[in-house]
Amino acid sequence: MIVLHRLARLVIVLLVVTFLSYVMLALLPGDPVTQILGIGADEEARARLRQELGLDEPLLVRYAGWLGDLLTGDFGTSPITRTPVAGELAERLPVTLELLVAAQVVALGLAVPVGIAAARRAGRALDQALTVLSFALLSTPVFVLGVLLILLFAVTWQVVPATGWTPISVDLGWNITSVLLPAVTLGCGQLAVYARLLRADLIATLQEDYITLARARGLSPRRILWRHALRPSAISLITAVGLNMGALIGGTVIIETLFGLPGIGRLIVDSIFSRDHLTVQGGVVLISVGYVLVNFAVDVVYAAVDPRIRRA
Amino acid sequence: MRRRLGAGFWIAVAWIALVLAAAVLADLLPIARYDETLAGPPQAGPSAAHPFGTDGLGRDVLSRVVHGARVSLGVGIGAVVLGLAIGAPLGVLAGYRRRAADAVIMAVNDVALAFPALVFALAVVAFAGASLRNVLVVLGVLGVPAWTRLIRGATLSFAEREFVLAARVLGVRDRRILWREIMPNVAVPAASYAFVGMAVVVVAEGSLAFLGLSVQAPTPTWGGLINEGRALMETAPHVVLAPSVVMFLTVLSFNLVGDRLRAAGDVRPSGLEPTRQAPAVLPSAGPRPLTGALLQVDDLRTHFLTPRGPVKAVDGVSFTLERGRTLAVVGESGSGKSMLIRSVLGLLPGAGVARGGHVHLGGDELTAFTPERMRQVLGRRLGAVFQDPMTALNPVRTIGAQVAEPLRVHLGMSRRQAREEAARLLASVGIPDPARTLGRYPHQLSGGMRQRVTIAMALSCGPDVLFADEPTTALDVTVQDQVLRLVHRLREERDMAVVLVSHDLSVVRQWADEVIVMYAGKVVERGPAADVFERTRMPYTEALLQAAPRLTDPAHHRLRVIPGRPPDLAAVPDGCAFRPRCAYARDRCAEQAPPLVAEGGHLHACWHPVGRTMTESEGADSHGR
Repeated sequence: MIVLHRLARLVIVLLVVTFLSYVMLALLPGDPVTQILGIGADEEARARLRQELGLDEPLLVRYAGWLGDLLTGDFGTSPITRTPVAGELAERLPVTLELLVAAQVVALGLAVPVGIAAARRAGRALDQALTVLSFALLSTPVFVLGVLLILLFAVTWQVVPATGWTPISVDLGWNITSVLLPAVTLGCGQLAVYARLLRADLIATLQEDYITLARARGLSPRRILWRHALRPSAISLITAVGLNMGALIGGTVIIETLFGLPGIGRLIVDSIFSRDHLTVQGGVVLISVGYVLVNFAVDVVYAAVDPRIRRA
Repeated sequence: MRRRLGAGFWIAVAWIALVLAAAVLADLLPIARYDETLAGPPQAGPSAAHPFGTDGLGRDVLSRVVHGARVSLGVGIGAVVLGLAIGAPLGVLAGYRRRAADAVIMAVNDVALAFPALVFALAVVAFAGASLRNVLVVLGVLGVPAWTRLIRGATLSFAEREFVLAARVLGVRDRRILWREIMPNVAVPAASYAFVGMAVVVVAEGSLAFLGLSVQAPTPTWGGLINEGRALMETAPHVVLAPSVVMFLTVLSFNLVGDRLRAAGDVRPSGLEPTRQAPAVLPSAGPRPLTGALLQVDDLRTHFLTPRGPVKAVDGVSFTLERGRTLAVVGESGSGKSMLIRSVLGLLPGAGVARGGHVHLGGDELTAFTPERMRQVLGRRLGAVFQDPMTALNPVRTIGAQVAEPLRVHLGMSRRQAREEAARLLASVGIPDPARTLGRYPHQLSGGMRQRVTIAMALSCGPDVLFADEPTTALDVTVQDQVLRLVHRLREERDMAVVLVSHDLSVVRQWADEVIVMYAGKVVERGPAADVFERTRMPYTEALLQAAPRLTDPAHHRLRVIPGRPPDLAAVPDGCAFRPRCAYARDRCAEQAPPLVAEGGHLHACWHPVGRTMTESEGADSHGR
C-alpha cells in the first residue's frame, strides 16, 4: 500500500518535472533552427527545417509526442548532432555514475569515522577541530576546492593527472587515478554535511536511557558505540544521502567540466551552449529519475535500519 | 536566555562589511582599473603596488577581485531579497492556514527537490542572455521553495504555541496575530537563513561564472577569475588563489553569521556545548572501617559543575545493605534519588562532574576501580533497571540480541547457549512464549512486558545487587504490582539485595526492609522501614506520608500537599534545606544545618524532630507536639 502510494507520487513528480523543463526549455529564446542554419538563412529554408524537426506543432502536442517516445526508451534524435540522444546519454552515464558512487564512498567512508570520533569526544579539542574543519569544507565552493586540489596534487606534486578520463574497460589502475581527484573534490562537501549530522545524532543517542543501561551492563564503549548507538543514529544520515543526491548531481556538472570528464554533466553544459534542447531535456529526465529512484531506495533502507518504520 | 555570539561572529561580520565596502567604493579606491592591461608586469607575484599580483595581461588582480565582489554580492543580496519577498508570504500562508496549502507546498517541494536547479539555471542564463539581471532573477526564483519551507516551518511551530492559540480563541484578527505574535518570532530564523542563503547564492553565481554563464567579460566575476586563473596555475598560481581565498572567506563568513544567529535564536539548550571542566575529586571523609556488609556507601558526593555554580545532586550519602534485603530510597522528584543510583554505579558523564566518597561491594572499593575493572563489576555483580521501559531498550535491536549480549560478553557463552539462556531468563520473569519474543523488537511489546525484559537483562549474569530506579512509575497500576512481586520473588530466589527507588510510599511500605529519605541531595532520615513509617522523625518524611493517599483513609479525607517546591540545588539555602517549607521551622533551622543523628538504627537530620512524646523530650528544646 505504502509502496503503491509512493510509486504514484514518484510518477507524478516525474511528469511535472519533465513537463516544466520541456515547456521552459521550449519557451526560452535561442532557436535550434538558427543554430543549425546560421543567422543569414532564408525564411523558406527555416520553415522547412522547422517542419522537419516538428517545431511547427503546438507545444503540448510536441510534449505528448516526446513523452510517448520516452516511454518506449526513445529520447529523440538531436537536431544538432543528428545522433540519438539515448545513445549519447548511455555512453556518458557510466562516467557520471562512477563519479557519484566514488564521491559517496569518499564522503561516507570518511564521515562515519570522523562523526563517531567527534561524538565520542564531544566538546574536546578533536571535536572542535573537526567542527571547524567541516564548517570550512562546507563553505568551499566545489570549483574552488577542485582548483586547489589540482594545484596541489596535479601541478605541484604531480601525483595524479589534472584532467582526462580512462574508462575501467581500458585500464583499472588509470581509471581509479583519473576518478580519484574529482571524487574527493565532489565528496568533500558531502563529507562535512554527513559528519556533522552523524555527530549531532550520535550525541543525542548517547544520552538515551538504553545507552546508560548498556553501560550499566558493563559493555565496552566501543561495543556500545558500534552495536548500540550507530544504527539508531543513522536515520538522518541516510535521509541526507538521498536528499543530497540532487546537490551532488549538480556538482557533477562543474566537476566534469573542471576535470574534463566525458559524463552527463559535461554533455548537458555542451548541449546548452550548442542550443541542443533535446539533449538537455534528456539529461534533465535522467537526473530527475535518478534522484527519485535513489530516494525511493532510501525509504527501503530506512525500514532495514529501523524496525519501527516497517509497520508504518 | 541568549548565548553570546562569539568572536568568530564579529570577525565574519567585519569581513563581510569590508568586502561590501570595497565593492561599493571600488571606483574610488586607489587601485588600477580592472580592465587596464599592463598596469604592472604580466604574471607578477604580489608586491606593494599590486598586493594580489597581476594576471597574464598585467591587470591588477586586487582590482579585479574587488570589482568581482560587486557581481557576487549584488547577485547574493538581490536573489535573497527576491526569494524572501516571494517565499515568505507563501510560507506564512502555508504555516498559518494548514491543510490545503500544506499539501500544495509539500507537492511543490517534491518537485523542486527532484528538479536539477543548477542545470535549469544554466539553461535559462545561456538562452536568455548572461546578464546580471537574468542571473539574479533565476537564482532568486530557485531559492523560493527553500524560503517557503523555512518560513512555513517557523510559522507552524509558533502557530501551535499557547499564546497564539489563546489569541485565536479570544477572537483576535488573523492579520493582527500574524504581525504581532508570529512575525517577530519568525524574524530570527529568517535573518539566519538570509545569510546562509547568500552563501548559497554566491556559490551558485560563482558556479555559473566558472562555466562562463554569468555576467560576461570584461566585467570580472569571482567564478570567472578562477576559471581564467586555471590556465596560469603552473606559472602564476596567485592569479587563481587570490579570488579563491576571497570567495572562500566570504562564503565562510556568510555561513558563520547565519549559523551563529540560528544558535542565538534557539532558546532550547542543545546540550552540545563544549564542557571544559575535567572530572574533579571532592574531598570527603576517609572510608569508614568495613562493616562486612554486601554494599557499603560512605559519604558519596556528586556535584555537577555548571556556570551557575556546583549543583550538589548527591551530597554526602552513606548507607549499608545486606544480602536478601530491600533498601528503598524515597523523596520528591529532584531530590537526588536517581543520581544516587547512578553515582553508586559510576554511570556519570565524564566532564563537568566532581565526585567524592567511597563505594564498597563485598570488600572491593569500586570507587578506586579503573573503567575497565568497573565494567567487570557492572552487569555481573550489579544490575540496573530504570524508570521508563519505553526508552530502556534499544529500538533497533531484537529482544534476543539485547538479552543475550551480556551473557556472551561477560559469561563467554556461545551464540546458541546465550539464546537458550535468554529464553530461560524471559520465562523466569513471566514472559509468555519466550522463544518468539526473542525475535521481536521492543516496539512490539507492551510497557509491562518491556520492563520484564529489562529486569531479565539486569539479572542475566546473576548480580549481587539489583538497582531498580522507579521500575513501576511508567506502568499501569495493575502491572505495577506484578512487576514488584516479580522483583521480590527474584530477590528471594537469588539471595540478592535490592535498592528500590520510588516516590510511591505505598510501594515502599509494602516491599522495603530499610528506607532512606532524601532531600536536596542529602539523607534526612534513614532506618528500618517500620521505624521510619511508624515513628517518623523528620518533618519532611511526615509531610510525604501525609501527601500520600491510603486505602484506609475515610472518604472525602483531605490530602495534604507539601507547600513550596524542592530547592534549587545550585543555591541550597543555609541551615536546613527543608526549612522554607517546614511548618515546625525555628530560628536555629535557618542558621545551622542539622546533622544526621542516630537513635539506635534510626537516623534523622532535624533540630526539632516530630513524633516525640513529652516524656522523652529533651527539656527546653521540646515544643510539645
